[in-house]
Amino acid sequence: MLQILIQGMLLSGLYALIAVGFTLIFSVGRTLNLAYGAYLMLGGYLYFWASQSLGVPKSLAVLMAMAFGVVLGILKFRLIVKPLKGDHIAVEISTLILAVVLQAGVILIFGDSSKILLPIVGGVIYVAGAPVTYNMLIATLASWTILLSLYLFIRRTDIGRAMQAVSMDTKGAAICGIEPDRVNLITWALSGGLGALGGVFFASYTQLAPSMWVGPLIISVAVVIVGGIGSIIGTLIVAHIVGFMEVIVVSVLAPELRGVFTMGLIILVLVLRPQGLFGREEL
Amino acid sequence: MGLRWFHFAAWGLFALGLALLPELVSKGTLRTLIFANYLAIFAISWDLLSGRTGYISFGHPFLIGIGAYTSAILTKRFGVEVEIAIPIAVIVTMIAGLIVLLPALRIRGSYFALVTLAFMELMYQLVQVIRPDLTGGTRGMSGIQTLTRGAVNGFYLSSVLMFVIAVAAWLLLRTRIGTALTALGLNESAVEGSGLSTTKLKMFAFMASAFVAGLGGAFYVHYLGSIAPRALFDINFVFTIIVAVLIGGASTIVGPIIGAFFLTFLLEYLRPFLPGAERYFIYGGIALLLYMYQPKGIYAMVMKAWHSLHERATK
Repeated sequence: MLQILIQGMLLSGLYALIAVGFTLIFSVGRTLNLAYGAYLMLGGYLYFWASQSLGVPKSLAVLMAMAFGVVLGILKFRLIVKPLKGDHIAVEISTLILAVVLQAGVILIFGDSSKILLPIVGGVIYVAGAPVTYNMLIATLASWTILLSLYLFIRRTDIGRAMQAVSMDTKGAAICGIEPDRVNLITWALSGGLGALGGVFFASYTQLAPSMWVGPLIISVAVVIVGGIGSIIGTLIVAHIVGFMEVIVVSVLAPELRGVFTMGLIILVLVLRPQGLFGREEL
Repeated sequence: MGLRWFHFAAWGLFALGLALLPELVSKGTLRTLIFANYLAIFAISWDLLSGRTGYISFGHPFLIGIGAYTSAILTKRFGVEVEIAIPIAVIVTMIAGLIVLLPALRIRGSYFALVTLAFMELMYQLVQVIRPDLTGGTRGMSGIQTLTRGAVNGFYLSSVLMFVIAVAAWLLLRTRIGTALTALGLNESAVEGSGLSTTKLKMFAFMASAFVAGLGGAFYVHYLGSIAPRALFDINFVFTIIVAVLIGGASTIVGPIIGAFFLTFLLEYLRPFLPGAERYFIYGGIALLLYMYQPKGIYAMVMKAWHSLHERATK
C-alpha cells in the first residue's frame, strides 16, 4: 500500500513535468504540438551524448539539453507554425511528420538500439521497504518546483499575463498592445526547454530509444485533455490521477495494461466533458 | 455527376496500365506495387473519412486492424472459409466505425484527432492482453491462409480491389453527398442550417471509410499471411497513410492513389542507399517540404499544369 503511494507520487511528479510544456503550447497557441515527444527524445539524447560521450559534467549537460530544447522550440515556431498561419490541423499534421523525421534522424546518428542512461543523481534510499532512487526523487522535486514557479510566472509577471491574455482571446490581446507572435515564440521556447528537461528525467527513468517519444506524448495529451485548457493546477492534479492509476493498474492488475486506463480516460473525458475537468468552457 | 469523356479515358488508361504492368516489370517491383496498392486502399479509406469532413483521424489503423484481426482470427482459429470471413470482418469494422463516430458527434478538430489516436493505442494494448490465445498476443499470428500464390496473382487481386474501390469512392464523392461532405468540412452549422442532417452525413462518411478499411485490412492480412500488433497499430503506419493522402492531394481519391505509389517507390528507391529506418528521414523530409509548399498535393499541381496547357491550346 505504502509502496503504491510512494511509487505513484514519484511517477506522477515525472508525468507532471513531462506534460507541463505541452499544456503551455496547447493553452496559449491552441495547437497540439505532436512533435512535443520529440523534444523529450532529443533532450534525452543530447544529455546522453554530452554526459556519457563527451564527459561534460551532468548539471551542465542538463542545461545544454534545455538550451537545445529552447532552440528547437523557436525553430519549430519560426519554420513551421508561423508559416502555416494558425491552421491547427496543418500544424498537427506537419508536427507529426516532423516527429517521425526527427526519430529517423536520431536513428541515423545514434542507431536503432535503445541505450541505458546513467541516473542523473545516483543512489537509492529505502522508504518503508520500497526502493526510491534519488533520481526519481529529484525529478519529482524538480517537477513541483517548476510547476509552482511556472504558476507564479504566469500569474505574476507581465509576460505570463500576456500569455494568459493570448490564450483567452488572441485578437483582444493584440488590441491591448500584446504581440501574439512574440508571446507564442516565448511559449514555444519555454515549452521546448521544459520538454527537453522532462526528456532527460524520463529517459533516465525508462531508457533512451528512438521510439520513446510516443509514450510521453500520449501521457501529455491525456493530462492536457483531462485537465483542461489553461489550467496548470489541473495539469498537476491529472498527472497524479494518471500516475497513480498506472501504478495501481500495474501492481494490482497486470503490467501489460498500464496504458489502458490512460487511453480510456482520454476517450471518456473527451466524449463526456470535452472542456476537461478543470478547463474553461469552450469548443 | 458531370462525367466527361476524359474521365472514362483516364480511368481506362489506368486500368490498362495496371493490367499490363506484370508484363513490363520484375517480380520484385511487382511485390512493391502490391504494397502500393494496399497503401492506396488505406489512403482512400482515410480520405473518405478525413479528406473532406475535416475530422482528421490519427488512428486509422484501429479500423484496419479490426478488419485484419477479425478475418485472421475467424479463418485461423475457427476454421471459417475466407469467403465468409472477409464479409464478416467488413461488417465488424463498420460496427467499430460507429464507435469512432460517437465522439465525432460532440467534438471536432484537434480533439477528435486525439480520440482516434487514443483508440489506436487502446487497441494496441488490449490486443496483446485480452484473449492472447485468439489474437496471438504480442507476437501476433502467422500462417494465416493466403488468397493467392506468387507476385503476379497477388498483384492482380490487389489491383482489382484497389481499382474497384477507387472508382466507387471517386463516383461517390462526385454525387451530391460528396458536395455535402465538403460543406461539412467548411462549415458544419451552415450544413445543418440548410436542413441536412450532419449526423447522417458523418455516419455515411464514417461507414464508407470503415467499409473500405475493413475490406483492405482483411485482404491485406490474407496477402501477408501474418499479423503483429506492433507493426499494425503503429504511429509510423498512421504517418505513412496520412502522408500518402496529403502528398497526393486530400479529398480527391485520385490523389491518395498517386501519393501511395509515389511514397512506396520513393521508399523502394532509397533502399539501396539507406537500408534501415533512415529512409524515413529523407522520406519524411520530402513529405514535410511538399506539405508546407503545396498542402493540396501533387494532384493539385498536375491539375494546375493541365489547365494552363488546356488554356494555351484553346487560345
